[in-house]
Amino acid sequence: MTQPVWLSERVQWIGALDPTMRSFDIVLKTPNGTTYNAYAVRGSEGVAVIDTVKEACAEQFFTRLEAVASYDEIKVIVLNHLEPDHTGALPELMRRAPQAKLYISKSAQLMLKALLNQQDIDYTPVGTSDTVSLGDRTLRFLHTPYLHWPDTQCTYLEEEYMLFSGDVFGCHFCDERLFNDKVGDFRFAFEYYYAHIMRPFREHVLNALAILEPLRMNIIAPTHGPILRDQPKRYMQRYRELSGQRLQSEVNADEKTLVIFYISAYGSTTQMAQMIRAGAEQVAGVRASLYDMEGGDADLFVDLVEDADGILIGSPTINGDAVKPAWDLVSSFAKINVRGKLAGAFGSYGWSGEAVRMLEDRLRGLKMRLPQSGVRIKLIPSSEELEECRRYGQEAGEHLMGVNAPRVLDMADLLASRQAQV
Amino acid sequence: MAKAKVTFSDVNVTVNVPVGTRIIELSEAVGSYIAYNCREGDCGVCLFEVIKGQENLSPVSKEESSVILTRFQEIMDGWRTTKSLDALQEKMQRENFIGKHCRLACQTQVFGDVVVAPL
Repeated sequence: MTQPVWLSERVQWIGALDPTMRSFDIVLKTPNGTTYNAYAVRGSEGVAVIDTVKEACAEQFFTRLEAVASYDEIKVIVLNHLEPDHTGALPELMRRAPQAKLYISKSAQLMLKALLNQQDIDYTPVGTSDTVSLGDRTLRFLHTPYLHWPDTQCTYLEEEYMLFSGDVFGCHFCDERLFNDKVGDFRFAFEYYYAHIMRPFREHVLNALAILEPLRMNIIAPTHGPILRDQPKRYMQRYRELSGQRLQSEVNADEKTLVIFYISAYGSTTQMAQMIRAGAEQVAGVRASLYDMEGGDADLFVDLVEDADGILIGSPTINGDAVKPAWDLVSSFAKINVRGKLAGAFGSYGWSGEAVRMLEDRLRGLKMRLPQSGVRIKLIPSSEELEECRRYGQEAGEHLMGVNAPRVLDMADLLASRQAQV
Repeated sequence: MAKAKVTFSDVNVTVNVPVGTRIIELSEAVGSYIAYNCREGDCGVCLFEVIKGQENLSPVSKEESSVILTRFQEIMDGWRTTKSLDALQEKMQRENFIGKHCRLACQTQVFGDVVVAPL
């Protein structure tokens, strides 16, 4: 099957099928492959090509494109997202249709230059109020950044109420029947794609939904997976559900939540965690809770982290490192947005004690805020050391509530305290 | 070496720094809420507010001002209905917003005492 597929009298699918792919971008499993969807829109004054395909699949794309239009008819090329799986065929397309004007989002400009390794590219940056006319068909651009790159946008074909959504509402599911009312059950792929690609950008999903939901919608045409022509709004509604709160939170708006994860071999790190919680609870407005990482796993805890204002992690040092459950928890943070949340680490150790600083470096690397240096205690905590834990918890609480006492530091000390291993 | 004081009002920390230091070299280390992403002036995430001492900061470049504007367009209430980017830019410059009260932490160097905060 290398024929284009009709979405309407004027719109055709000219993408590519990739049924044998088994993992995508290293991190995603794709048990039945994927599709790279590209579309051609014909207006009375020319043809628009919306997105392209991965370079390795370019032949399929050009074969289908040639069946719907000649290169000199192409007036417009729209890129909703510049990742190489959608722009691989772009350089060749630009060579074959040199007259076509390129439309990209305002945030895509530097990426385009880096992608083509060329400085003097002729393109038009567009935002939400911009349109481009194909005569009797009009494309309107919608600024929907960070879904899932800074450059992402959607394009709306006004006369047909058709949304070219880029990766939003997409999934890795390859089925040559293409339409959601014809293909096999792809719901798991849709949810999996949301969970791994869109969830870290939950706030941006909500912003985009506010723009997209009011639009009349006959078809949603994403860049991966089935074209959603049967009840397209159901998929928007599902995004709304997935990006909302799970259960009504019992925490009041003027309170902050601190979750303290710990794991302990002989009970010392447990004692520390309990004292830290007691210290945090002394600060009015802080709701602190304790979780033993031995009693759960990262997939469960990550939901807690997503809603928490502050996260502290306690790990002993074993063989010069924090323990695996602690690293598993931290690596699950990539699935959500933790940037700007308060974070910290603590732990007891026998004789070397690297875990705390290693965890702190990783948390800082995830762009969390670490205003305090974490508590490290050799073996069994003394009563003075437990007091130090209580104070650490209290200061974490004060930072959450914005009521901490002023401090003055020298830059050299500030940087040195971060590098110190002891 | 000449020194300056940078106060991060959200975490209540003052740092004595050599002049020429960039805000972003400090904001992460003190745990301020000033967020960041690319650290290269592309993304605009590290936008912060200058509360005091705007005259003690390095001058704003054309590129920085354009990134700040794009960022504002995204985060301001009503950006979705802004018809003209030029009008918005003009208004913000007239009201001394871009480059005076708001800067990018990765681009801004300190040459005297300032008080800063996340936006």
